[in-house]
Amino acid sequence: MSYKRRNSSDNQLSINLTPLLDVVLQLITFFMMLIHFGTKLEGASKVVRLPIAPAALPGSDLGMDRLVVSVDRAGMLLVEERPLEREEGRRWWADQAKRRFEGQEVLGGVDEDLPTHVIIRADKDATYGSVRRVLSDAQERGFANFSLVVHRSKPS
Amino acid sequence: MSRATRPSKRPQPPDEVAFPVTPMLDMAFQLLAFFVLTFQVPTTETHIDLYLPASPLALPSESQGRGQAPVARRVDNDLENDIWIRAEANELGDLKTLRLGESTVPDLPALADRLKRYVAIMEDRPLRVRLAADNHLRYEEAARVISICSAAGVAAVRLNDPSAQVGSGTGSIPTPAPNSSN
Repeated sequence: MSYKRRNSSDNQLSINLTPLLDVVLQLITFFMMLIHFGTKLEGASKVVRLPIAPAALPGSDLGMDRLVVSVDRAGMLLVEERPLEREEGRRWWADQAKRRFEGQEVLGGVDEDLPTHVIIRADKDATYGSVRRVLSDAQERGFANFSLVVHRSKPS
Repeated sequence: MSRATRPSKRPQPPDEVAFPVTPMLDMAFQLLAFFVLTFQVPTTETHIDLYLPASPLALPSESQGRGQAPVARRVDNDLENDIWIRAEANELGDLKTLRLGESTVPDLPALADRLKRYVAIMEDRPLRVRLAADNHLRYEEAARVISICSAAGVAAVRLNDPSAQVGSGTGSIPTPAPNSSN
């Protein structure tokens, strides 16, 4: 009979991988389009729940020299998630400002306002007074550029 | 030569060229795994910029080992461009009343409308806002007011001590409290 003579390789089943490859490449394209590096501002912490301010516009680009601090709901200044008392916080601001003024001296131009961008992530339940105190303490030491981090819409 | 061993003159079908899909698929899966693992839900975070010029205490002094204090400091000569916003809070820290200059504003959208009108009136001159809010006002409420100012085109928002006197009318020059953040 003829089937006895049939080559064994004719019976080999082959999976068609082309549709699978198509789907995978489409998924890769999807993720590549959505990927974003570094758009999330640094210093994010689960301790601090940011306020929602729908009218907030995207701010300008932040400079290279950034300083990120948080204010928790009790109004305490958090530096690298370490709470600082008011006086301790003032000393910390003074120390940060001193380092930067010294850097400016080395570079040969001391300005009255430091170019450092201070990013403040304050809890939505903190009080206006506590945030203003943090701003004031920083401002007294020469920091002038501040960014308040908020959510434009309810975070998912 | 016998007929059986003679090569056929009929053209043979070309050998099938197999494209090796498996390595490509391996690589595609690795790329897919990378993107899936590094995927982050797009954040809704943004930032409201504030420029708060340093107070005189900030000037670097020789005694502290810092630089020589600059003699000339930036002086606000055009304070008449400042508008005061007074935000009062209830005992829970929520926004109770909002005043723009001397007039009461019913809500935040109305504040945005009025500020946009002021910005349009001022044309090229920068409009600045001084926010004097109660200390126990929740920061979320204050952030909303600041963001509305920013979206309305206000050039600068300054945060004042609540004890600072709100002047009569938008053209007045109030004296900021000594510990204000201006």
